[in-house]
Amino acid sequence: MRYAPCVPPFVTASPGISARPPDAGHLVGATWTEAPYPVLIVDRYGGLVEINEAARALLPGAASGDRLHEQVPSWLADAHQRVSGGQRGSSAGPLSGPIKGRHYEAHPTAAGDGDVVWWLVDDTDRRLAETALSDARTRTEILSDVSSTLLSTLNVSRCMEVAASLAAEHLADAAVLVAPRQGRRRPLAYANRGGPVSQVTRQVDVAGVPGLAEALQGFPPVPARWIDPVGLPDWVVPDGFAGPVGSVIVAPLPGHGVSAGALVLLRSSAEQCFTDGEEVFARLFAARAGTALSAARLYGEQANVTATLMRELLPPRLSSVHGVDYAGGYRAAKDHERVGGDFYDVHPGSDPSQDTLVVLGDVAGKGLDAAVLTGKIRNTLHALLPLTDDHQRVLNLLNGALLTSHHTRFATLVLASVRRRGTRARVRLTSAGHLPPLIVRADGKVEESATRGTLVGALPTVTANTVETTLAPGETCLLYTDGITEARGGPLGDELFGEHRLQRALSECAGLPAEAVVERVRMLASQWIGGGRHDDMAAVAVSVPRTGPLTVLNGTGARSSRRNT
Amino acid sequence: MTDLPLPEFTVTVLHEDTTLAVCVGGELDHDTSAGLVDTVVQHLTAEPVRLSDVRLDFRDLTWIDSTGLSALLMIHRRTTAVGATLHLDRRPDFLDRRLRLTNVLDHLTAQASRADPHGHRENDGCTGAGAT
Amino acid sequence: MSPSDATAELSDRLWQAVADGDEHRAAGLVHQAAADGMEEERLLLDVIAPVQEKVGLEWAADRITVAQEHAATAINERIVASLAHRRPTREPRTPRQGRVTVSCIDGEWHAFPARLVSEVLVLRGWQVDYLGAQTPTPHLVAHLHHTDPDAILLSGSISTHLPAAHAAITACQALGVPVLAGGRAFGRDGRHARALGADRWAADARGAAAVLQAGLERPGPATIRQVADDLPHLADQEYTMVVLSRPQLVKQTLSDLESRFPAMRAYTDAQRERTAEDIAHIIDFLATALYVDDPDVFTEFLTWTADILEARHVPAHSVVTGLEALADQLREFPRTVDLLQAGGAVLCDRPTRPVPDPDIHA
Repeated sequence: MRYAPCVPPFVTASPGISARPPDAGHLVGATWTEAPYPVLIVDRYGGLVEINEAARALLPGAASGDRLHEQVPSWLADAHQRVSGGQRGSSAGPLSGPIKGRHYEAHPTAAGDGDVVWWLVDDTDRRLAETALSDARTRTEILSDVSSTLLSTLNVSRCMEVAASLAAEHLADAAVLVAPRQGRRRPLAYANRGGPVSQVTRQVDVAGVPGLAEALQGFPPVPARWIDPVGLPDWVVPDGFAGPVGSVIVAPLPGHGVSAGALVLLRSSAEQCFTDGEEVFARLFAARAGTALSAARLYGEQANVTATLMRELLPPRLSSVHGVDYAGGYRAAKDHERVGGDFYDVHPGSDPSQDTLVVLGDVAGKGLDAAVLTGKIRNTLHALLPLTDDHQRVLNLLNGALLTSHHTRFATLVLASVRRRGTRARVRLTSAGHLPPLIVRADGKVEESATRGTLVGALPTVTANTVETTLAPGETCLLYTDGITEARGGPLGDELFGEHRLQRALSECAGLPAEAVVERVRMLASQWIGGGRHDDMAAVAVSVPRTGPLTVLNGTGARSSRRNT
Repeated sequence: MTDLPLPEFTVTVLHEDTTLAVCVGGELDHDTSAGLVDTVVQHLTAEPVRLSDVRLDFRDLTWIDSTGLSALLMIHRRTTAVGATLHLDRRPDFLDRRLRLTNVLDHLTAQASRADPHGHRENDGCTGAGAT
Repeated sequence: MSPSDATAELSDRLWQAVADGDEHRAAGLVHQAAADGMEEERLLLDVIAPVQEKVGLEWAADRITVAQEHAATAINERIVASLAHRRPTREPRTPRQGRVTVSCIDGEWHAFPARLVSEVLVLRGWQVDYLGAQTPTPHLVAHLHHTDPDAILLSGSISTHLPAAHAAITACQALGVPVLAGGRAFGRDGRHARALGADRWAADARGAAAVLQAGLERPGPATIRQVADDLPHLADQEYTMVVLSRPQLVKQTLSDLESRFPAMRAYTDAQRERTAEDIAHIIDFLATALYVDDPDVFTEFLTWTADILEARHVPAHSVVTGLEALADQLREFPRTVDLLQAGGAVLCDRPTRPVPDPDIHA
């Protein structure tokens, strides 16, 4: 927003007029002598020829015949030399500079015989306005920058680091961010301008800093001029701060209804004190920093609560137990969730002569609601472990524990009791309304176990039959949920993955370690789905480790096995 | 790679004498099950005549998941509670498979005891010791 | 024997054990070498990594099955884990560096390269959060909010995951976490990493460690952007159209192939499905080439596919016919048609090579 140059039109219309004394004044006449702008007529040698009333008011001692450079600052005297020397074009833009505490634009006009008529236009106020405007813009930019930088992270420590660093960069020589108490101690972030931010958590006496205790409690801020920098405790001055503290601002960080901490800004005594304007700006900055910190803190607390509740619901990590390998894989229906309606557990036998119990199941429904019910089932089964010699009894007790008049949300599950005997493992399998486990024999044959039973949690009584089988080294029993076989997708986009494809894939997994079988199944199902929607998916493989080398090397890779990308 | 447009889920209710006939079309799943239960229960309680039979017709059903099955169990509970018999008609293969796998087909289609209008003591599955 | 001969010889013996599926012997070799004083980083990168590479090679040449490939990878992974286990905990090793996250691109199953990088960084004193394969981007973002690492290392082997990588890169940077991309998906010279706006790219684990050592600047708010801002060519919607119409394209191409090769009508369901999967793969790589606007992505995949097919005694000319069928369906999309033509030309020009190019398969 530049103003148009305020040059009166008649000046530019006067090049032909001689300004040579004594006539000059008379010829130009009252038009310029009474003009509200200071006007100086200067000859080519830098001598004042004539000045008007306004110029006399500005330069009280000046008179005709004086040397220009004795009366005006050098910027104007130098400009006159250039203009009368014919170099006008070389200094583009308006000439301007200070005279007696005000600021002027100087507009030269040739007046014949080498004289130059100088019109001085006072633009002090415009410049002040422009500076204020530019400051305001800079501050708005800073604030917007601050907001987007701070809001991009939901990590409290990072947020504190960024806020302290930005405050030191834009507002002061150093900044200290004081966070709300954690127990007896407080997290603190220290920043010197241009330096790295250091963070510590320690016990500090906030009462030693005037206004800080109040700011941390959300009381209105104490004006900077009331704070005596001399009495500041050491803890509030960052290491490496240059010189004694000259002035201090303590700005509260308003959170969402509660304090998000306070910001202490420090300026060294070598610098100017904080102005009122800077103080106001610091509070605007603090308001934004406080909002971002509160959001981060809230997110962190929610995430912690969720993580705590979730820990019990997450699928366990499986490994080898008493000479049998176990591996599990899980994928929740929604990618932003970690838990869902599928679950599995392996309860190791107390010694190798005892059964290890494997449970895999699926609760009707999705998401957290379903996950909570899986938690109940897993806890109940854990309590029933001493009874697992009799799967049917366990299922009946579980059914009773789950029945409720409120809903018919049921679960289907498979129980597998596994015990190593010599080189082989005996496995007892019982399905409660669940897909029967698949057994991958060493020769690649895939068998469906013949166990069937009623779902649990919805009917007054349940029945189920238990089957027994033996796994030889290199053989695997796979327990899985229908999320895998009911995965929709494939090259044509809308087909079910299906049990047939699963069995075909498993027939290629003979002799593989349990982890590799689970990984293969998960990978195929995920690739089948592509980016489409899907249900929870879970699989557990129980394998007896192979002892000798794989026997099917060299040349048996059929085209059917070629997709692993 | 993308979500395919889902077929419309439809529930059509016909009422004839003491029989309530409900045609279920589309996918009975997590999103649609509650709607079916609400519709059936509304008719069960609103009918002035005591219903003897509730027939669910699955001719146009395209898919059912575990939540859908849970809804059928709830409908059975409510139907039995008013002394009506539930029928699951024209079941597609996938529905039949799911009912047999979970061993609930016989339970869902058992004849309701007409003599006892509160016959759900026997058959509604909510009288277990661990009911909460 | 020179040190490099020793590692090469050990690597050969390890391969034999892994190929035999003999985990016990494989682990014994590695642990003995460690006990004899071989540096762990050399064991990981110069002994185990080449074995894993060979697993891919042997599969491509049809000398091992895909299941054996899984088995060998599982053994390698367990050996790496056992090496890590063997380290004394809280050993005052190198002075502690910062904290970094290592993750695969959403949808990427090849976790082994990421695993190796993680172990190397741990050895070099970094605190590493290893998220592994198949990490949904929302989990990654939540993890970054939680831990605020100095950098995220994003690993990818298959280039069809590049669009997902792009979403992850922009999401991480918007949080102020710099992204170091690595793995074959990003191109042998890292060009796709640059195109997708990753902060840095590293060719291998040692390169990644060097980049981290030198330090990465945190991206400022100016880096917050939509993915399309990086790739203005996406405005032509060709990528979007090809991805959205994938199922229809597969169906139509299948039926076109059947009318041109009557023998196909006698295919079993399983054979038909594998052909459909092949077509779907071609479309996935075509879409990726459209996404990054780089024909090499497509032509390199086709060359590799042809090699794989020939290793299994399947003629590659049906691929050319498939490309023609696709070009016919997509004739309104000029960038797509150019890619399909380039692909056809590469297949027709290519010399018959007995050994497949190992570099593309991870």
